[in-house]
Amino acid sequence: MNKLKKVSLLILLLLVSTLAYNQEKDSVDLFKSKPPSNFYSQLSIDFTSPLYRDFATSPLFYRGLGINLNTAWLRRSDKRERIFKIELGFSALIPRVPKSNFIQSGGLAYFGNLTLYYHQLWKIEPLSNEKFNLKVGGALIITQNIRANPALENNAFGLENLSNLMATAQVTMDISRIAPKVYKRFTLKPVNRELRLLVNVGVLNFNYRPGYAYSYDSEMNGTKTKPVAWAFSNYKLTLNGWRINTELEFIKYLPNGNARGWSYIWEAAHAKGRYEPFQMASHRIQYTLYFHSKKR
Amino acid sequence: MKALLLLFTVLIFFSCEKILFKHDLGTTDSLKNFDYLWSEIDKKYSYFELKNIDWNQIRNTYRPLLTENSSETELFTVLATMLNELRDDHTNLISPFNVSQYNVALMGDDNYRKRTIDEFYIPNAWKTGPLVHDFLSNGKVGYIRYGSFMSEFGDGQMDLVLDRYRNTKGLILDLRENGGGSVFNVPKILGRFVESKTLVGYTITRNGPNHNDFSDIEQFYITPSTGIRYLKPVIVLIDKGSFSATTSFAMATKAFPNILLMGDATGGGGGLPNGGQLPNGWTYRFSVSQLLDLNGNNYAEDGVPADIEVSFDWTDLTKDEILERAIYELVN
Repeated sequence: MNKLKKVSLLILLLLVSTLAYNQEKDSVDLFKSKPPSNFYSQLSIDFTSPLYRDFATSPLFYRGLGINLNTAWLRRSDKRERIFKIELGFSALIPRVPKSNFIQSGGLAYFGNLTLYYHQLWKIEPLSNEKFNLKVGGALIITQNIRANPALENNAFGLENLSNLMATAQVTMDISRIAPKVYKRFTLKPVNRELRLLVNVGVLNFNYRPGYAYSYDSEMNGTKTKPVAWAFSNYKLTLNGWRINTELEFIKYLPNGNARGWSYIWEAAHAKGRYEPFQMASHRIQYTLYFHSKKR
Repeated sequence: MKALLLLFTVLIFFSCEKILFKHDLGTTDSLKNFDYLWSEIDKKYSYFELKNIDWNQIRNTYRPLLTENSSETELFTVLATMLNELRDDHTNLISPFNVSQYNVALMGDDNYRKRTIDEFYIPNAWKTGPLVHDFLSNGKVGYIRYGSFMSEFGDGQMDLVLDRYRNTKGLILDLRENGGGSVFNVPKILGRFVESKTLVGYTITRNGPNHNDFSDIEQFYITPSTGIRYLKPVIVLIDKGSFSATTSFAMATKAFPNILLMGDATGGGGGLPNGGQLPNGWTYRFSVSQLLDLNGNNYAEDGVPADIEVSFDWTDLTKDEILERAIYELVN
């Protein structure tokens, strides 16, 4: 099964790379004038190193490795930007257990999350120029975590929702090579590319966390009892904590308007909750394909 | 300047969760592990008042037995002994080298011998999923053994079993040494023996730092199954090994006139055991809720008593006195 997953992943990566490469060969005028607004569909894959700690069940950090698949719809112009993104991630983690001088404790936990992300940004003209574009605005991030840690018995499943209204700033630097450049024996062709830094800082941070006892003996309505409702009963919605999200992306545009991006994404969140906090962070290396699907 | 600003931002905002989060609390320090476990139980355990346990006194008794450098086996021994003061088999400490247990099943007589049932009563039993069953007393009685509430079964499987015994005078459901499992399987079985939606008990869950802080009561209903039901007399066999979800099942039967409990009192374990982890990586669990009967009484933690008490006679291993009595009650 694992082998099958690895082969499928490899094929997917090869297909994606080939597709991007083929588009690069369709040479057209590289620096034709940019349209006022570009519409992109995005597909991304990233490798993530997540970390979490749920004080309600353990004082230990759990760290591991995983994969995220993302799709997004981006509308970008010089003056404004909107994006809606859906992310699906899955990771396996182990607790950071202190070294034992007898028999080492271990364990394995699983961490899945679904994130919906939307931001809308506007250009700050006085701080921008032809090569440097600063946009600010707001973002909404909604993340639903599903964690499984069999060692925690009836608390094996951790479910929390973090919904954050963020203040957002984005700096885009045009680092295109306008003219051919000779470097030793090689001639480097002109290329359209940019460096983008996005910073999201939580302004309104909501979290939906378990109640005081974590798992509850809730109402049992015979065989009509709904396990999901049973699991979520006594959850509390709280407005506290913080969340920060940053992304540094290098984007290389292709002559046909499509693009490829390589990003490093860092995120950290602290959901204080009503009783005991939950913390999570992740470091992600992401590869994104931009499909330029519409010009207006 | 802009490049410097960018670099500064990158350094500030990337990879700095170590600055933002509280430091790593993992430790092998025995006293810190003791304090952590003691405090978690103090905050969330549900039976202090019912069992008249002075938890502060217990801390004063056991903490001095440790130092920050106590060995892992010494720490385990002290923590396990402290947990057993709660007299609760839903309370365990789990380390890589040992698991603590109160062992309530060993505190009463053993009233179940599988070999006796298999060899002398149901040698040709059907095994429909986890349900082991056959006719007894020349087809007058049906016998069903359900060994664990952990074991799942389908509606079709239960339909088949109950349809097979539709013409019997009564049914014996053997839950001796059923150590529990999923509480969702309780209404799944009991719903086969009831005519209408019935309130069978309540639960309350620890909801605050004081030992008597509990949530509002939650109702526990049994609803009739839409599959095949059996509404003739049913005798449920129980013993000290009938624990946790089996105790919930036994308590719920008290609301039904067509169901009798026979054997010995159950082992208890009416509380929901929640798990957690110590700073040294060991895990634990303990009860955070209470199971109450229709009058609001909590006897389930000490075991639900049988309606008819019968014991197994170990001098004759060809006979199961508890099963014989159940057959007698149903046939006569």
